[in-house]
Amino acid sequence: MAGVIDQYLASLRRELDFDPALARRLGDEVEAHLRDAAEADPAWPSPEAEQRAVARFGLAREIAVQFAADAIDRQARRSWIMLAATVAVTFVAMRLRIMWLDDVGGTASALAPLIDRYAFIAALVVGTIGWFAFRHSLTPLVICLGGLVASIAAGIARADLFVGGAPLHVLLPAAGEIALIGLLSWHVLGLHRRLRRTAALRRAG
Amino acid sequence: MLKGHLDAIVLAALEGGPAHGYAIIETIKRGSASTFDLPEGTVYPALHRLEQGGLLSSAWVTPPGGRRRRMYSLTKAGSAALAERRKAWSRFSSAVDSLLQEGRTWPA
Repeated sequence: MAGVIDQYLASLRRELDFDPALARRLGDEVEAHLRDAAEADPAWPSPEAEQRAVARFGLAREIAVQFAADAIDRQARRSWIMLAATVAVTFVAMRLRIMWLDDVGGTASALAPLIDRYAFIAALVVGTIGWFAFRHSLTPLVICLGGLVASIAAGIARADLFVGGAPLHVLLPAAGEIALIGLLSWHVLGLHRRLRRTAALRRAG
Repeated sequence: MLKGHLDAIVLAALEGGPAHGYAIIETIKRGSASTFDLPEGTVYPALHRLEQGGLLSSAWVTPPGGRRRRMYSLTKAGSAALAERRKAWSRFSSAVDSLLQEGRTWPA
């Protein structure tokens, strides 16, 4: 039968399943800690000594919540950095597209230039407000992501980029912004998963 | 109140040299004459956070015939951060001391 410490470690690893590498590392670290603590107990060796060591350590779920909250901070920071990079590359790509359009003229509807410009400006405004006031909230990131996707799609449609034989200096930034949008979506999804997981841990606690 | 200062306390506990989580907790308990008897597990999120922030470094160490443990040490940035937090704490505690002084008369 598993001892008190083994049971606690299994439960800690379960609670930390949102980050398997952390669960493994912390499991090993905490095992050494708990065995040191139990051995320092006057009643060692006994289940009571292990029980007291585990009780002093604290609830596995509460420790997992603290790690999850730190992970949200890191994920949010990465998402905002990715958003700033995407905005910068989108701006450069947009300017290059406009220069290219001056040469060849656009074929898309009259709406495309408006979406291209104003969806980008909306993303920029929401992103700036979000950065200063709602850095841990998913909403401004999702709005910015939506704005940038709309702007990029309209810009590409407007310039017929991938069918019109655009020069490399216009195509490469466009490919860059598509790649960055993909990465940004992945980060935002990751943040969403972490927020949901942390909320579930807090509710269960 | 302690939670807001846990990172600084952990940095200070490592000032004497590298230590593992259990030793850090014991240092904090002894250093505070058991006033800070916090759940021992709370030190690990702080250790990992400080390591992610580059203020601590860590490595697994297995002493001969002993148990494998993760040892944490202050980095250069960690020492600088500790000095900065000490100064901030000193300013803060002096201000609170002065405000809480018994018999102090407040201007009308």
